[in-house]
Amino acid sequence: MSEPKPRKSSEPKAPRSFGWMAEFSDEHALLDAAKKVRDSGYTRTDAFTPFPVHGIDEALGIKPTILPFIVLCAGLTGLCTALLMQWWMNGVDYPYLISGKPLGISPAAIPVSFELTILFSAFTSVFGMIFLNGLPRFSNPVFTNPKFDRATNDKFFLYVDARDRYYNRESVRELLGATHPESLDEVIEDSTPASIPKPILLGALLLVLAGLIPAMIVLNMRAGFSDLPRWHVWFDMDFQPKKKPQQTTTVFADGRTMRPQVTGTVARGQYTEQDPFYLGWDPSKLSAMEGSNPILVSYQDGAPQSSPTQSSTPMADGGSAPAPKLPFITQLPIEADEEHMKLGKAKYEIYCSACHGYSGFGDGLVATRAQALQQDTWTAPTSLHAGRVQIQPVGQIFHTITNGQGKMAPYATALTPKERWAVVLYVKALQRSRNASIEDVPVEERTKLTPAP
Amino acid sequence: MATIASSYNPREIDNTADIPGRRAPLITGNQTYKSVTEMVCRVAEDPQPKIWWLLFGFSSLTALMFVSLIGFLIYKGVGIWGNMNPVFWAWPIVNFVFWVGIGHAGTLISAILFLFRQNWRTSINRAAEAMTIFAVICAAIYPGIHVGRAWLAFWLLPYPSLNLWMWPQFRSPLLWDVFAVGTYASTSLVFWYMGMIPDLATYRDRSKSPLRRMIYGLLCLGWSGSSRHWLVYEKAYTLLAALATPLVLSVHTVVSFDFAVSQLPGWHTTIFPPYFVAGAIFSGFGMVVTLLVPMRAVYKLENLITLRHLDNMNKIILATGSLVGLAYATEFFMAWYSQNQYESFTFINRAFGPYWWAYWIMVTCNVISPQLFWFKTMRTNPLAMWIISIFVNIGMWFERFVITVTSLSRDFLPSSWGYYRPTMYDGLMFFGSFGVFMTLYLLFCKFLPTIAISEVKGVMSSSAHSEHLQAELLGHGHAGEHGSHGTGSHH
Repeated sequence: MSEPKPRKSSEPKAPRSFGWMAEFSDEHALLDAAKKVRDSGYTRTDAFTPFPVHGIDEALGIKPTILPFIVLCAGLTGLCTALLMQWWMNGVDYPYLISGKPLGISPAAIPVSFELTILFSAFTSVFGMIFLNGLPRFSNPVFTNPKFDRATNDKFFLYVDARDRYYNRESVRELLGATHPESLDEVIEDSTPASIPKPILLGALLLVLAGLIPAMIVLNMRAGFSDLPRWHVWFDMDFQPKKKPQQTTTVFADGRTMRPQVTGTVARGQYTEQDPFYLGWDPSKLSAMEGSNPILVSYQDGAPQSSPTQSSTPMADGGSAPAPKLPFITQLPIEADEEHMKLGKAKYEIYCSACHGYSGFGDGLVATRAQALQQDTWTAPTSLHAGRVQIQPVGQIFHTITNGQGKMAPYATALTPKERWAVVLYVKALQRSRNASIEDVPVEERTKLTPAP
Repeated sequence: MATIASSYNPREIDNTADIPGRRAPLITGNQTYKSVTEMVCRVAEDPQPKIWWLLFGFSSLTALMFVSLIGFLIYKGVGIWGNMNPVFWAWPIVNFVFWVGIGHAGTLISAILFLFRQNWRTSINRAAEAMTIFAVICAAIYPGIHVGRAWLAFWLLPYPSLNLWMWPQFRSPLLWDVFAVGTYASTSLVFWYMGMIPDLATYRDRSKSPLRRMIYGLLCLGWSGSSRHWLVYEKAYTLLAALATPLVLSVHTVVSFDFAVSQLPGWHTTIFPPYFVAGAIFSGFGMVVTLLVPMRAVYKLENLITLRHLDNMNKIILATGSLVGLAYATEFFMAWYSQNQYESFTFINRAFGPYWWAYWIMVTCNVISPQLFWFKTMRTNPLAMWIISIFVNIGMWFERFVITVTSLSRDFLPSSWGYYRPTMYDGLMFFGSFGVFMTLYLLFCKFLPTIAISEVKGVMSSSAHSEHLQAELLGHGHAGEHGSHGTGSHH
């Protein structure tokens, strides 16, 4: 491709001569002629043959090619690429620990390294050959002579280029003529050179540029940041044909995607939700309750925190929302013995007495102090001896301790269920003690009592 | 100059006889450079025979069916196949290995026989290389559609993923397979194309219509036959042959790693790489014979693809078939010698278990049928060798079926055993892949040089293979007056 473009240097009238071409019908005649031409000192020579003729390189003085060296470099590049790629991808950028095999380069890297070495070398061999030969070259002066079509069939051509240092039109003709060729022609320029039309070239250029657009988009996305959802060609697993809990479906008769549990199953973590000991009320009696959905009510009312508007309004009785309507149990699930009473007393005095007071009148130290400060955000604690508290079943008191009520915090995390029941026992005892009549005292003990002052 | 009429001798000329100290002629019929050109170009230039149109119509419809079934598969999912617990690697992988194996003959002939200076390869290498390319195309389709979400098959490649932010696992044989088959397919393609460049120039220079001339001119990159170009070209060809030789051996080695690196009895063996490579060459040559025997008859190429070529190929089939038989025997020996109960069970199960029929079809076709090639009459009878080559193809498909399915269907845990049954779609798609293969091959015959013209001419010029001398020494009278360039009497 280094030759000057013939079209530009040509003169309008006389077609430019590129040299002489002699035609032979077998390779031996060609070799003899080539040796003569070489011995005459011409170097810009070439032969055109249907197959690689052995000995022609020597006969024409063609130098060996550097292709093997290029291919060697390509092969080494392929090897290094493969090793670096595997080391970086599996050992550095995304360490892929599997079966305890070493990260990065290990014997398992051999197959891919081998294949890439071959791949790089093979492609370099082919494209190196094409590049070193100056191909593709569609417009070639030698193609102008129709006889030359047989150079790929059964004829052998010897060519001396006009740009040779010693080129002389007549002497070259004489020299080639002396080799007894079948024919001898002057190679003249192509009057209608084949070239790719401009619109096609332009179209190809546009195609190449358009082909770069996706690559630029990808590069931009990798380098930049965006708040928008990722842009996908294929929606990998982002959108799956599946149903989520609160959606509807046509698969089941009830139209719900969430399925009720099979009767009798207890799911992990659900055990405590079934047992009155942990709840204070009996779930099995829930359906017998009247009114609106009691579960919903219980969840709303039993919420540990009330809204700010409620808490900012002081209430006389210290309560806020109405008490939940649940099937509370009325019997203590623990023994009402001395041990539990002592436990309940201890826990009550640690956790409850600060607000409710040691005797349960809502006069604990914190409450007293808050009232002294006259903070209007303070809601006075409920007196455990108020009438509506006294009539509460034990289950409801347990529920209040567990979940809190109004401003009172839930104590489920501070007290175990057993401790909570012990506190309920103690509260019940307090209530009884503060609202007792003489009938509550055993007969034999009544005499020991002295009348109140 | 000899014309086609005089150069074509419909009578089979026996050039299989060997004379000590002499090389047998590679092509027959007193060919000249011109007659070789015309014989090959005629295949593409003459109107195609009726049988071509019949076959093309049938195979293109079959290929269309295959493409439609792939569409259906992608729409419906791989559940339409018979792949089911415990055999998840069923026909798709069997077909993949089958086609990749067939794809080994082309590069073997082009590369290994080139390095061994087996000049007879020149008449068959082009067709075999084309067959390789088309077989590898059929092979590559199968893993692509077997991955389930075929539109994400590009995840196999190590590309900078936008969504996953991760890379493939380079210690997995399945990924080695991607690289091995990918390298093999692309290298075979450029090897095939580079070999065709001078012949495409021949096609260009013989074209009558300007359009045909332009297309072939573009395809051959403006090849002029310059000796300076030939020098680089031959060097590149030698380099490619040297590179493709280890490549061709590595591809089926890596394919065998897909099995051998796993822990399954019957797969986890070190014999797999050589065993697979031998099988691949065996099946590849089987397919070459299956294709070339009808082709040389239809296109009247008997003088170029001579009986000696077929004889040589049949000898390779005999050798590799016996190697495969040895591998089967070695597997049994190792199963006994290792005293590993799982290994022993697997091989007894293969031969006498529920898939006994597949095993014995495999042994009959692969080990017993090629033994007929010990007889020269079988090696030089086109019909006989064609039938045997079909048996070889069948047997090699069953070999992959036996390896894949018997090992998977009965592994360590008897409670998970099962019996694999293919569905209609398995069968239709395998049949359809033959449609793709044959369609491409028929188009190749119609539009591209089926025989490496320049390479045949190259070995004609060598004085080593003289038909005249051969004829004289054998006492045959069919040697013509002159016209061959291989007389060696020049100068």
